[in-house]
Amino acid sequence: MNMDDALATFFAESRELLEQMETSLLGIGQENDTTETVGAIFRAAHTIKGSAGLFGLDDVVSFTHVVESVLDVVRDGRLAIDEPMVTLLLACGDHIGALLDALETNPGQRDESLIERGAPLTAQLRAYLGTGLVAADEPQAPFERMGGINPCEKDLWHISVRFGADVLRNGMDPLSFIRYLGTLGTVTGIVTLTDALPAAEAMDPESNYLGFQIAFRSQAEKAAIEGVFDFVLDDCTLNILPPNSRTGDYIELIRSMPEESARLGEMLVRCGSLTAKELAAALLVQEQRHPEIIPIGSILVEQGSVAAPVVAAALEKQKRVKENKAQESQSIRIDAEKLDQLINMIGELIIASAGANVIARKSRNIELQECHSTLSGLVERVRDSALQLRMVKIGATFNRFQRVVHDVSREIGKDIVLVVNGEDTELDKTVVEKIGDPLTHLVRNAMDHGIDSAELRAKRGKPAQGTVSLNAYHDSGSIVIEVSDDGGGLDREKILAKALERGLIEPGRVLTEAETCALIFEPGFSTAEQVTNLSGRGVGMDVVKRNIVALRGTVDIASQPGVGTTVTVRLPLTLAIINGFQVGVGKSVFVVPLDMVDECVEFTSDSGHDYTDLRGQVLPFIRLRELFEVPGAAGTRQNIVVVKHAGQKFGLVVDTLMGEAQTVIKPLSRMFSQVKGISGSSILGSGDVALILDVPALMEEAQFPVTHTPQLA
Amino acid sequence: MSMPLRIEGELTIYRAAELKNTLLAAVAEHDTLDIDLSAVTEFDTAGVQLLLVAKRAAAARQHTLRLVGHSAPVIDVFELLDLSSHFGDPIVLPA
Amino acid sequence: MNAVAPTPPHLPTVVASTMPAMRAEPTQYLTFQLAGESFAIGILSIKEIIEYHALTEVPMMPSCVRGVINLRGAVVPVLDLPARFGRPSSEVTKRTCIVIVEIEAAGERQVIGVIVDAVNEVLDIDATDIEPPPNFGANIRADFIQGMGKVKGKFVILLNVHQVLSINDLQAAGAAVSKDVLSLN
Repeated sequence: MNMDDALATFFAESRELLEQMETSLLGIGQENDTTETVGAIFRAAHTIKGSAGLFGLDDVVSFTHVVESVLDVVRDGRLAIDEPMVTLLLACGDHIGALLDALETNPGQRDESLIERGAPLTAQLRAYLGTGLVAADEPQAPFERMGGINPCEKDLWHISVRFGADVLRNGMDPLSFIRYLGTLGTVTGIVTLTDALPAAEAMDPESNYLGFQIAFRSQAEKAAIEGVFDFVLDDCTLNILPPNSRTGDYIELIRSMPEESARLGEMLVRCGSLTAKELAAALLVQEQRHPEIIPIGSILVEQGSVAAPVVAAALEKQKRVKENKAQESQSIRIDAEKLDQLINMIGELIIASAGANVIARKSRNIELQECHSTLSGLVERVRDSALQLRMVKIGATFNRFQRVVHDVSREIGKDIVLVVNGEDTELDKTVVEKIGDPLTHLVRNAMDHGIDSAELRAKRGKPAQGTVSLNAYHDSGSIVIEVSDDGGGLDREKILAKALERGLIEPGRVLTEAETCALIFEPGFSTAEQVTNLSGRGVGMDVVKRNIVALRGTVDIASQPGVGTTVTVRLPLTLAIINGFQVGVGKSVFVVPLDMVDECVEFTSDSGHDYTDLRGQVLPFIRLRELFEVPGAAGTRQNIVVVKHAGQKFGLVVDTLMGEAQTVIKPLSRMFSQVKGISGSSILGSGDVALILDVPALMEEAQFPVTHTPQLA
Repeated sequence: MSMPLRIEGELTIYRAAELKNTLLAAVAEHDTLDIDLSAVTEFDTAGVQLLLVAKRAAAARQHTLRLVGHSAPVIDVFELLDLSSHFGDPIVLPA
Repeated sequence: MNAVAPTPPHLPTVVASTMPAMRAEPTQYLTFQLAGESFAIGILSIKEIIEYHALTEVPMMPSCVRGVINLRGAVVPVLDLPARFGRPSSEVTKRTCIVIVEIEAAGERQVIGVIVDAVNEVLDIDATDIEPPPNFGANIRADFIQGMGKVKGKFVILLNVHQVLSINDLQAAGAAVSKDVLSLN
């Protein structure tokens, strides 16, 4: 990999880490035990710093270093992480991101003003590192950096040593070892084990029979303690069990190890809960008990060399590393353009296959037809797979809003929480990219104008904390995104007054509730008393609507005074290929998106009305021949395609029903964009062009009365 | 009748074999035996073991064994290994 | 003074293939017939010429937009020029062709077909032989005309394709028609 590739990867991965940091920071307020999360945040900063160092990005390194230092102190439990710190760390994450951006666009250049902007942040960070350490929850005496254990009475090493029989003969004395141990810490308790001492006559005065159990307080590492007994290790059984607090430390260390696969023993030695010699001894035992296969972890716990929770943590880490590796190799980055090209080619493939189908049918060659049937089945599966490649979960987009809500709620001084649902709902990549801005505006709007002030909420008996919620789900071929708030709802009177003022409606005109709410989307409309920084500039909702319509979507707003407001956005699931239902009107062929087709019925008696009886319910319809001014008169036998959209049903009167077919959507030239009712075109197997019907637009433009449809689904 | 057995010099591995015989003989012979440690100049694990063995031997015969006059080296080791519980004798610290 | 160039051997009057690039002289024009009059479009804008075949009509568009065709997998709109000029449409004969024009406007690349009664030769028309559009007569919107080319003593109307095929124009026209139609329902 050359330097450029490596650097590009560094930028991409660092951004991902920054995102993770942000998500973790935002969630930390809700956690009871923040150890895990703090560790994750620390590791993210640590990794960025390290990698930046590899590339010599000194400014990034020095800034991130201070961040890492503060996080280290928090990680040790010497500092509590609270709201102001979270906000500071979020700002630091942003600054690191800005530094990276600057380096990416102008490699090798120092942006002095940008670096300047980091100075106040660094100052605040250093304040945390200063002499006045903020005490954590448990009372602690200040102590040295080394080891970082809490010197608490119960927190002792337990050393159990049985010196070998020849120790004395070899010129050594257990006493000297115990004395030496005393130089590394304090022996707080000792028990001399005399059980091995035989009866007087049998006892050899020059052999050693004694063992000791020692409770030991020390900051030293296990290996150092073990080192005390170096000279007699071969001759004795030694067990060193670290203090309980160390267990936490070891587990933390194991979890923070780089994500590379390692053997259990290695991991334990690396984190310090096991010494190399203990491992060697355990491996020996393992070998000796062969062919019985005993996991090394069990042996170590059995031998008392490592505490069971530490082994468990190491095993878990191993498993996670393995899973991540497996997953890593399962996902790769690809160029979006290449993906689009692939989709286009598959579109061509579908058309070609349809063409071949027509010929195969005409040929009356059974073999050919069967062969083609196999082919078109495969083409369909390829199509589905390819489309799936473009589908991404909306969860990532939704979760970005956590940050928005966090920042904005502080800015406007309201306590607001964001609730997210339907994160797994998938939609086309291009739609996701384009829906971000409109959604942001809707969320900000909900926060700024939707959520009522704390006093009002109290008066209305609502919880002090306001809720904005995002929800997404699929519904008959569309994806629905809802932005709701539990605020004061839309003030109908105010809206009407404003609309009157702006000349958007004539005085005296009576509007339905829906029409009133829809006024919000008119350009130049805003009822905000103060135009805030975020919204209310009067350029908001109409732009939102325009962006959504450009994606062939619809947006509606509904509200209950005092209770809340919901904005519902509907978007087509995919912009490339749909399943279509072909219908004929005169010589023309039209395509109805299959997802919206409910059923088809014959239409023979034409009473001249624009509605018919569908099993006891009123079904209004549109005659396509009339609407599209198709030349020629309608035949006697016509059909109605019953379509359903946004919970409403209506019918399309057509001549012939031609069946289902995969339809590659070919965009129409911009000159047709104002044609309501047509959303695109498609090339049939015959080579002819068919027009794709825009069902929601037909429904809207034909202005079906909304009031008298209580029986409709 | 308590008879003090005075040990002088090193109570260490170098004299362990010889001292073992002396001690055990003394234990066997006397119902109550006081071992005077005030002249012990050095004391090691082997020495500790000897005292322990002697104590057991006494117990086995239902004789009494007491340690008295612990010298400084002895006190040192006793504290290091927290041996008071094994012997139960009051240790009189030098003034 | 340029002599009229003979019809290049590789350009039959009706062809269903892309014209080879003749980029050298910007003064070359494709001439064609519409309701008895001679028109011309600069070669550089012309992508290809195809036979007239079945169009798919698109509803709710002004009559000058006859519909769309399938051009090797792309859906291309087709204009009726006489209708665009406000004149009655011509009848389709066996010489009727669709000239595929490619223009770039406002950063968009547009491919549009125009129906012509018959395609004539490609001619060299020198700039000195081009006179400004007339103030009178011509029966066509002045902004559609780039100039009047003098060929063999006769005038050929050089079309300003950017105006004739202006997407914005056509889009607005479509909006007007569509609104009309739907409000009747």
